[in-house]
Amino acid sequence: MSVIELDGLEVRLGGRTVLDGLTGQLRGKAIGLLGPNGAGKSTLIHTLLGFYTPSRGAARIFGLDTRQERARIRQRIGYMPENDSFIGNMSGVRFVRYMAELAGLPAGDALERAHEALFYVGLGEVRYRKINTYSLGMKQLIKLAQALAHGPQLLILDEPTNGLDPVARQRMIHTLQEIRKQGEIRLLISSHLLRDIDDTCDEVLILKQGRIAALSNIEDERRSHRNFIELEALGSIDLFCDALRALGCECASFPGGRVKLIMPDAIKPHDLYRVAHENRVEIRRINSRHDSLEDIFLRAMEAVPERRELVGI
Amino acid sequence: MSVYKHEYRAYAGRLTSPLARIGVLTRYAYAEGWASRITTALFVAAFLPIVVYLVGIYLANNPLVRTIILRGKDSFISIDASFFMRVLSSQCWLAVVLTAWVAPRLVSFDISDNALPILLSHPISRFGYVAGKFTALFSFLSLITWVPCIGLFVYQAYSSPVPWADSHLRIGAGLLAGSLLWIVVLSLLGLALSSWVKWRVVATGVIFAAIFVPAGIGGIVSAILHTRWGFLLNVPVIMTQLWQRMLGAPQIMAGELTLPTGAIAAVLLLLCALSMAILNARIRAREVVGG
Repeated sequence: MSVIELDGLEVRLGGRTVLDGLTGQLRGKAIGLLGPNGAGKSTLIHTLLGFYTPSRGAARIFGLDTRQERARIRQRIGYMPENDSFIGNMSGVRFVRYMAELAGLPAGDALERAHEALFYVGLGEVRYRKINTYSLGMKQLIKLAQALAHGPQLLILDEPTNGLDPVARQRMIHTLQEIRKQGEIRLLISSHLLRDIDDTCDEVLILKQGRIAALSNIEDERRSHRNFIELEALGSIDLFCDALRALGCECASFPGGRVKLIMPDAIKPHDLYRVAHENRVEIRRINSRHDSLEDIFLRAMEAVPERRELVGI
Repeated sequence: MSVYKHEYRAYAGRLTSPLARIGVLTRYAYAEGWASRITTALFVAAFLPIVVYLVGIYLANNPLVRTIILRGKDSFISIDASFFMRVLSSQCWLAVVLTAWVAPRLVSFDISDNALPILLSHPISRFGYVAGKFTALFSFLSLITWVPCIGLFVYQAYSSPVPWADSHLRIGAGLLAGSLLWIVVLSLLGLALSSWVKWRVVATGVIFAAIFVPAGIGGIVSAILHTRWGFLLNVPVIMTQLWQRMLGAPQIMAGELTLPTGAIAAVLLLLCALSMAILNARIRAREVVGG
């Protein structure tokens, strides 16, 4: 079963169409939600949480319709909002316990799990301090702890590394990677930072102007471009390229002796050196390059998506 | 195993009912209200008149006191509808003070810290959220209004040397209905205005202003236009008239200034509807708004 299913989802706010006919199935363990400002990322999250009602189409989480089964969906979701959102004059453990009780846990279980969640995210030592004394990084972590405490099946994180210093960011990313690795919780992570999504997610949904610009599996994308080579050489470049094409490579030459090529799986790097030697070409520099999420994102941003159409990448 | 050694694990235990989750909001709101010493001080102050009234009822009904102090004369105080009208009035106006202090504590923390997006992302609706806070405030106000009022009524019925309760049941019913009506209006108004204003101190002032400023405007309207309808804006006046009718106490205001019960009920209904509309609009606006 897909984690999130979008079926022609349209959301209108204030007479403006914010989400326009989103269709797709998200199945990844960790799904990245990318897009420029105003693309509709937060609106999509709020719609999944049931805060906004679709004007057309539907969104389903674990097969449950967001319009009709809001309470059951929220039972299965943990949500970490982008901005500061907590009760500052409560201690960390009391706040997380409160949220767990609201999610339906009995008071005793909620208290036990609040302690566990706080230790899990690394706030165990400061759990009795009032939240308004926490640093920015701690405030992000307490939001994560409350989202985890009731044992959700899907964790929705809106800009989880927002405002964090490099150390705190690394810690947050590590925690998310660990959650993904354990596999009990699916993740939906919205972020402006491609690197965060790259580090944590295996599937990405890219929104642009309220439409889906790309929906792809990051690992598959990387695998499909794993033999992409850039090199610089001296000598008869044209002959060298012809020889590579004869081997089955896709090859393009550029001024300054630069060559870009995609090798079939059967061709190994030492074959390049052999062909170069045969054609009296001297390879000065060689780079094996994987397709980065940035490439995927930039291609999606260049394409103009039609309504209800996925852009192939 | 110690909690800090636990890995993350899914929750597989039982879940509470949706109604119990409203109770969670009530419980935490109640704790928040009592967290302040000023709340305790206000409660103590609200019970001082009750002690005075209790002593009054005791003295009025005690034959020994009548023999020694009053020397066989009639009681210096008569325990009737007018007496209980004073009890009801004093407690209900103290309830305004308590509302102005407690209601902002129940809502403003959630709003000033932007907690609503997290609170409402849990399986609890906006209605459930308001119901939880309302129940907390309602129970706060109950403790100083109808509960002690009915207690005094029962004590009077118990200590009266002649059968008293049967012939004065209307007073008991009036105390209960008048108190409940007032604290429902106050709770809704207090929560609505607290959700409207981000800062607690300002919210406290706005609650007082919402009751007494329209009263002044109503007085001006009545004086200029020579009409009694301006008093419909005067909540103290309309509530006093309503309580007097409920308890069967003598009307204080002259006949021309008396307002129809239907008009008073319409004003109170309008006030409740307006409060609920404000609550719905403010909470809906804040459930998805950041910072």
